[in-house]
Amino acid sequence: MASAGEVASPRPATGARALGLLRRELADAVLGSDEALGEVTIRVVRERLVEVVELLRDHEDARYELPLCVTAVDWPDREPDAPRFDVVYQLRSLQHNDVVRLLVQVSDDDPVVPTLEGVFAGMDWHEREAFDLLGIRFDGHHDLRRILLPEDWDGHPLRKDYVSFGEPIAFTHNLDWALPAQERPRDLPGESR
Amino acid sequence: MSAVLPPPGPSGRDASEQYERGREMLGVDAGLDSVDLVQLDEQTMELNMGPQHPSTHGVLRLVLDLDGEVVKACHPDIGFLHTGFEKDFERHNYWQCIPYTDRMDYLAPLTNNLGFSLAVEKLLGVEVPPRGQYLRVIMCELTRIASHLIWYGTTALDLGATTPFVYAWREREKLLDINELVSGVRMHTSFIRVGGLLADVPDEFYGMVEEVVRTFPHFIDEYETLITGNPIFRERTRGLGAISAADAINYGVTGPSLRGCGVPYDLRKAQPYSSYDHFDFDIPIGERGDIYDRYLVRMREMRESLRIIDQAMAGLPSGPVNTADRQVALPPRNEINTSMESLIRHFKLVTEGFRVPKGMTYTAVESPRGELGFLVVSDGTNRPYRVKVRAPSFSNLSALPFMAKGELLPDLVAVIGSIDIVLGDVDR
Repeated sequence: MASAGEVASPRPATGARALGLLRRELADAVLGSDEALGEVTIRVVRERLVEVVELLRDHEDARYELPLCVTAVDWPDREPDAPRFDVVYQLRSLQHNDVVRLLVQVSDDDPVVPTLEGVFAGMDWHEREAFDLLGIRFDGHHDLRRILLPEDWDGHPLRKDYVSFGEPIAFTHNLDWALPAQERPRDLPGESR
Repeated sequence: MSAVLPPPGPSGRDASEQYERGREMLGVDAGLDSVDLVQLDEQTMELNMGPQHPSTHGVLRLVLDLDGEVVKACHPDIGFLHTGFEKDFERHNYWQCIPYTDRMDYLAPLTNNLGFSLAVEKLLGVEVPPRGQYLRVIMCELTRIASHLIWYGTTALDLGATTPFVYAWREREKLLDINELVSGVRMHTSFIRVGGLLADVPDEFYGMVEEVVRTFPHFIDEYETLITGNPIFRERTRGLGAISAADAINYGVTGPSLRGCGVPYDLRKAQPYSSYDHFDFDIPIGERGDIYDRYLVRMREMRESLRIIDQAMAGLPSGPVNTADRQVALPPRNEINTSMESLIRHFKLVTEGFRVPKGMTYTAVESPRGELGFLVVSDGTNRPYRVKVRAPSFSNLSALPFMAKGELLPDLVAVIGSIDIVLGDVDR
């Protein structure tokens, strides 16, 4: 029986096709690349992103025409040595049956990447989602509003420094910590506090 | 005859007097007459549809610019069901994430379990034994049929056909019974886990699945008799909501909605996972990319799913369903009675979960709605650092304004039905 696991498949790494093309055609737009688990991640210069994606979409050898998603990963501890956010793009090529991952790094004080709305109509909502949940701004987007959260929401929940929990639960042993002084009950029975 | 009709109305003059008197009584200022009706064309009316609207299949709100009955523009407003699952993933260990995946696309929970499990298994480098893989395939295909049945029933209902809905739910019960048998739960089963399954299937499973394979072709024939050749349905769907293959790809549309445009792309064939390459099945495609083609694709997909289930049941290997890697899978119950190490391992796994090596993966499966991808980032601890769910309904819905433009308002309902969104999947 053929081995059926994802890992053991004999296919070349996903995205290797795109990396080869970019190294040939736009070598100066590529900052570097990693390969792990059979998936290639290509780090791209932010200012050249649109150019890179257009090449990957239109070139015969690539045809990454289907936008899968854009999102970001927040690494707050990395600053100031390295930029805080990894903005991750996933594109699929139906013709060559391949996926590519592009990665653009942006810092906390300038979390801006150029919009890909003009390249893929489908990126519109995904960019709005990344803005909504992570506060990445997409320069040139025609309508960069929140999409999932209410318009008046404060903050960007998927950032690591956004505290979404931690409302303390008041037990008898931690009332000092859990409740402000004026809300603590005055007549607790026994010696419990 | 005249009793049925409303009483004859006041003449124009009386009406305007009544109007003025009414305004006086209400204390309304005369100046309100000059309020601008937004900045729309004289012809355009802005209409709100949803979020509490039966044909939006959940809590989808659409703001429509209408010219008479023609939809000039459609602005979807989503997020009413946003639950922050991606944030929740970061706070729970990998096992505890599985029930959250159930609740995203709640009509195809097992496919969501599978997508997440495959992504984590890839990071772990763990392989599931053949029996586990086959059972995953069987359960996912049963889920696909159950999901398509709901789509079939509700879409027909939106277009005014009540009977198919009842038929579809009658058969869906049989599939939910199988879910209940294997996992104890009818909908949010959490049956597929990282490293394998919740448990092996009980003996009654075989008979129940074989009955599904035997009887469902007849049921699908019934559905087709009700709808496929129905001239009213055809009139309402042929050529409507059409999108070309190039536009669909540009919007990131996947699944039956993309295959309806004639693009034979199905991840089960293109990048087979979980032993899908062992089975012989076809990818149904349409030609025109309209509502009717998307309908046909889904109806045929149900038959293909039955073929897959039939082959998987016939070739179902024996052996374990879970990986032998004790770092990930729980030890068998009888081993815990005799082995101290197993007891410790069981305790550690249940309390802490397992640690996943550092890395990042994008792993996708073909859900009933399209490409469901999980981008999982691990920092080496027992909790995911970041999980991004590439939900098929989200991208598919973003093409709705394009498909709906220029259609009539009643046809918009048919278009929404035809892209088969699940709002839990859109909003997450």
